[in-house]
Amino acid sequence: MVVNKVQEILNQIHSKLADFILKVEITRYGRPIVHLKPEANREAIKCLLEAGENAGLVAITGVDAGSSISLLYHVRVSGKVITLKFNLPKETLGIKTISDFLPGADFHEREVADLLGVIFKDHPNPGRLILPDNWPEGLYPLRKEVDEDKLARILNGRENLYTEEIGSAENRMVKIIIGPQHPALIEPEKFTLEVDGEIVRRVKPHIGYVHRGIEKAAEKRTYLQNIYLLERICGICNACHAACFCQTVEELLGLRVPPRAKYLRTVILELNRIHSHMLLLGHMGLEIGFETFFHYMWRDRETVMDIVEMLTGNRVLASYVTIGGVRRDLNYEMIPKIKEGLENLRSKIPFYREVLEKDPTVKMRTRNVGVLTKENALKLCVVGPVARASGIKMDVRRDEPYAAYDEIPFNVITYDEGDTWARLMVRLEEINESINIIEYALDHLPSGPYGVRAPRVVPEGETIGRVEAPRGELFYYIKSNGTAYPERVKMRTPTFANILSFIKIAEGGGIADVPAIFASLDPCFSCMDR
Amino acid sequence: MALDLNFILRVLLFPGFSFILTLTLICDWIERKIKARMQNRIGPTYTGPAGFLQPLADVIKLLAKEDIIPIGTQAFLFKFSGLFAASIFMFALLFLPVDGASGVFSWSFEGDLILVLSLITLANFFLFLSGWASNNPYSAIGAARILTQFLGYDIPLFLLALAPAFLAGSLSLSEIASSQLIPFAALAPWAFILFMITLQAELEKDPFDIPHAETEIVGGYETEYSGRRLVFLKLAKDAQIILGAALAVELFLGGPYGPVFFGSSAAWYTIWFMLKLIAVIIVTEYMACVFARFRIDQVVAGNWRILLPLSALSLAAALAIDCWFSCAVR
Amino acid sequence: MMKFPMVKAVFACLLRKPFTRRYPEVKPDLPEGFRGKQIFNINLCIGCGLCSRDCPAKAIEMVEVNGKRYPMFHLDRCIFCYQCEESCPRSAIKSSKIFELASTDKLDLVIKPIKEESVKTETRA
Repeated sequence: MVVNKVQEILNQIHSKLADFILKVEITRYGRPIVHLKPEANREAIKCLLEAGENAGLVAITGVDAGSSISLLYHVRVSGKVITLKFNLPKETLGIKTISDFLPGADFHEREVADLLGVIFKDHPNPGRLILPDNWPEGLYPLRKEVDEDKLARILNGRENLYTEEIGSAENRMVKIIIGPQHPALIEPEKFTLEVDGEIVRRVKPHIGYVHRGIEKAAEKRTYLQNIYLLERICGICNACHAACFCQTVEELLGLRVPPRAKYLRTVILELNRIHSHMLLLGHMGLEIGFETFFHYMWRDRETVMDIVEMLTGNRVLASYVTIGGVRRDLNYEMIPKIKEGLENLRSKIPFYREVLEKDPTVKMRTRNVGVLTKENALKLCVVGPVARASGIKMDVRRDEPYAAYDEIPFNVITYDEGDTWARLMVRLEEINESINIIEYALDHLPSGPYGVRAPRVVPEGETIGRVEAPRGELFYYIKSNGTAYPERVKMRTPTFANILSFIKIAEGGGIADVPAIFASLDPCFSCMDR
Repeated sequence: MALDLNFILRVLLFPGFSFILTLTLICDWIERKIKARMQNRIGPTYTGPAGFLQPLADVIKLLAKEDIIPIGTQAFLFKFSGLFAASIFMFALLFLPVDGASGVFSWSFEGDLILVLSLITLANFFLFLSGWASNNPYSAIGAARILTQFLGYDIPLFLLALAPAFLAGSLSLSEIASSQLIPFAALAPWAFILFMITLQAELEKDPFDIPHAETEIVGGYETEYSGRRLVFLKLAKDAQIILGAALAVELFLGGPYGPVFFGSSAAWYTIWFMLKLIAVIIVTEYMACVFARFRIDQVVAGNWRILLPLSALSLAAALAIDCWFSCAVR
Repeated sequence: MMKFPMVKAVFACLLRKPFTRRYPEVKPDLPEGFRGKQIFNINLCIGCGLCSRDCPAKAIEMVEVNGKRYPMFHLDRCIFCYQCEESCPRSAIKSSKIFELASTDKLDLVIKPIKEESVKTETRA
């Protein structure tokens, strides 16, 4: 049983780290939180990683709590999330790093260091991650004393926030810079590859080009306005961001969503998934020089956008999910049209499957290219289709069902090869599964209201929410303080977790494989940088 | 050779430079329209009837743009290598019989097949220099790739082009073209198919699209060019496509010769030449649409391991047929 | 023997009509509920200001007209989320199918609460 597994893990921690534990609680929302002393973070994480299967770090959240900063380490063990909470007084903001035994924590720690000023001792590559390189020292945007006017005053005085990279690579290695503006990238980021002939020796990422400070902006808007702000973090997985946020707020409010709304949320989430996967498969075709495949895939994507337009009024940005349910109902006349569109899509999938499996030129470019082994995938804490293509059976819809997924049967697709081809096939098969899910949901749509009224003021509390976005597990943490404005909103997007695997895969491969590997990870930089 | 009016007209107007320039524009339009239809979309539509004037509009637009010479480039090579490449391709085209005789009447001689093939190599070398002379890592990689690719595929091209020469018993293009009662594509189909594949690699089209692979190296050797100089590079590309396709037509498809119904034979020969040229271009475009792009190491491996032995074998087979024919005749 | 599944598909596409929609000659067929330009019915408005309070983009400004408060919509800031339509207790805001809103004059992008203009719906040529 689920609760027993969590209880078992908590007992294990209790027995191993009894001196460092301050409190073990299961909040009124059902989430386990362990309060510990800061010296014990390495031991605690090691203990959790061995406690179950497919264990990995989900996120590290930092919250400014007045005179101290709380660090929450959210760890996923056997499909459930256990939070470890450490309180660091602001005078001594140091804590030991965990990225030597868990490389996937690298970017999380650097981000907290950037935005809140926490120092992680012995971190392997310290340095700015999200903020520009010559951001003024001592100015930590997520702290409560820094408000927008202060930021505007300081930033308006500075002309150029980016330093130039001076210095060349060692001896005969050529530095190839991919980005920020490059035909291979959809969004701007900079990756410096040090290349020896045609082999890539080192990859250095510089991210943060699309950082818009959304976590800070969310603190200044009401919960209702925040839905629209957070939806616009990413264009393609917009319904997932809105759904995750609404789920978390509903948990804080103790609000129960009617069954019809749950099914309709499932429909729009799966439509988002189909859209995103088709977009990526077409983009992948472009990266390997297969323009015709790109055009065919995007021609079929139009069907999905037409369905979304009929359901929500807009082709891409759905604005469909709200706190308490969905915003508009589904007419019965729409159902046959949606089914016709889906049937059209389903008839095209065997053709694409044949192209990806049998076409020799595609095989030559994608098989055994960019292999990510299962062990590395677990250590780098990757999520989504990238993890499923390396053999890890991890899907939030199965592990912690939300919306209507506990009532709808579906398969979790895994492949064992871990190469670029496997990552594409996972996505193609997931399109098939999504079509089945939508048809089941439309056939079994319960009647009733499609939403309930939600109060505007949210009582005090903190909780998390998780949704399986097309690119992987999307994680939200919300802390409310009893007003109409949230105290802290933290989102950990799937691309943020997956981008480290690009560095691991690309080093040692040829430069001609880099765009193919990159596209197969499905990077969405506006999600990553927020 | 006196500079008489006939010579000037043939060089400048027809089948000389004006004809070639117009042909590049027409072939560019056909390529883009066919590619668009194969990808289920409309191609150029708005400029002129069915977008016919789009390539011309592109050239005019480029001529109006600013011509930038970046710092650190080798000035002479950067400025003129595009021009040299374009002019060498067009010079080579003058040796091909378009209307029954070569470009300039007295220019065809025994061995001009070898001259044309060598000129192709020289012009490709200038394309490499145009990338190498730009002070840009993307151009350097693109230039290195074009060198690797065409040096490799030149040898099979020569070997395969010699097969019709043996079958016709002459190394002169006009002789080869005129001695094809049955087109050599029917007599030696293996040589024709291999020649088309090698042509695809020479013309740098998918799947051998690597030197200017957009998504990896921005523009390849064209990255730093703009304005007038980019027009010359584009002209060199288009002229290379026409030259390659025309070679295929002359060597394997019977050149400009075909049934003459009425009137002047030169006009009919031109029409047949153009029809066959367009057919070859459509086939290369079709092959470009169907495949993805190979990696450079796969291209190199494919050349030295597969194509070169096969082209040597095809030459041997053509020799065998030729021997058999001449024995059978005697 | 290698199979090339694209070969037949590409050839078949040559013989088919292109998929491109010929906009602007052919206008698209929009579904009901499409989120286009707002239509504001001033007779139903009670001046509560909920639309302005809830707008995520701060695109609605409450202005005084003849002593009463009415909303003025700034379409250049609007994100067309239609939270205003949901928040309005009297359903005074409705959506339309007008989406061609590009203009060279910023004043075209403001819906003012004036009695005559509020019920006129014009399409831009």
